Amino acid sequence: MTEIVSEYTPEELMAVVISREVRDFETIGVGAASPIPTAGCILAEQLHAPHATIMILGSKEYYPFLGGSSELHFMAQRGELDLFFLSGIQIDSKGNINLHVLGDYFSPQMRLPGAYGSAMLYYMAHRVILFRTEHTRRTFVEKVDFVTAPGVTPENVYREGGPTLVVTPKAVLAWDRTRKGWTLEAVHPGSTAEEVKENTGFPLEISSSFKITPPLTERELRTLRTAVREKLKGIYPDFTRAKIRPLSPG
Amino acid sequence: MVQAGSIGLPYIAVRGLLGSDLLKYRSDLKVESNPFHPEERVVLAQPIRPDVAVFHALKADCWGNAVTPGLRDDLMLARAARRVIVTAEELTDHELTPQDAFQNTFLPAIDVDGVVHTPFGAHPCCCGLLYPVDDVHVKEYLNAARGEESFKAYLDQYVYSVRNEKEYLKKVGVIAQA
Repeated sequence: MTEIVSEYTPEELMAVVISREVRDFETIGVGAASPIPTAGCILAEQLHAPHATIMILGSKEYYPFLGGSSELHFMAQRGELDLFFLSGIQIDSKGNINLHVLGDYFSPQMRLPGAYGSAMLYYMAHRVILFRTEHTRRTFVEKVDFVTAPGVTPENVYREGGPTLVVTPKAVLAWDRTRKGWTLEAVHPGSTAEEVKENTGFPLEISSSFKITPPLTERELRTLRTAVREKLKGIYPDFTRAKIRPLSPG
Repeated sequence: MVQAGSIGLPYIAVRGLLGSDLLKYRSDLKVESNPFHPEERVVLAQPIRPDVAVFHALKADCWGNAVTPGLRDDLMLARAARRVIVTAEELTDHELTPQDAFQNTFLPAIDVDGVVHTPFGAHPCCCGLLYPVDDVHVKEYLNAARGEESFKAYLDQYVYSVRNEKEYLKKVGVIAQA
């Protein structure tokens, strides 16, 4: 029987949830400022995806290229990337993400660093998992203030993939391709569907495969806090110290 | 785009972007038909050719060869720029080659116009593994940058009131006060 663990940080939870979405033999890219997906991918590699090709910006061990970030971008542009991770200060009901401004473009309440390659990667990676460390109405809005990259494009636009999931500390939303909208796929232990709906700024249908996220196993958490933590330290030292607990003695 | 600039193209076609609000605000991005598949719409981007690009290097030699920290697209940007200046932690008269740039980036002299010796020149940012980001100073800068007045005060304290780089480094405590 698997031992179930209930003491963990929201970041550890999200990393484990993401790791379960990573498939063996996939080609996976992780961009800048993405410590949670980085942890999730390395965890997957340790547990069930030993043949995945994982490329992590900012890592020496997980960057098989000679050049800089353009290498990963061109790989995605060639259509060779199976999985990529993006975030957004806002994510809306149509799958649009905003990485640019809150408020008006010319007199914004907040200006963010911008898209970098997101407006290409959101189309060209076969699957994109969005991650966001808060599940609130200010994040999940009906319509984003600025469409950095759209969830849906017309049929005559070349597009390899697009949104598949959003992972938050409360839930997993899944992209419904036919309905072109998000459904509530899972709520994490401790959250409820009502609570997630209340904190989402657009109507959320319950998926036909809706479930409570299977609890984190002792094996997942132990691997995350040992082997993964060790590798993660070299890429995201501050995040690792603050969010991934060292294995408690005993 | 920098890539188009780096290889001297008149423009470059890029994947994605269609449906992004970027197209509303960026005059250097245009939507056209793909001439080879006219039913397909593609985004074309104007080349970027900066007048000057500046790189901070771990070391540089007196011919202009340089090693910058990490694996980055510095060479692409250097080739796109019309003038390239390298500031370096260390200067050498021993000729640097790509072999000196293991796990780092090599900028060949042919793409560099000038080299300046500037130890701690990346402060308050980091330079590879030589020194980390000065978090305290960056925080001070971020707070100062919130308002016109406070930013002016920051400039007065760290830029206008020092005569040179060395005085600045003494003032921020990176090198010892003489």
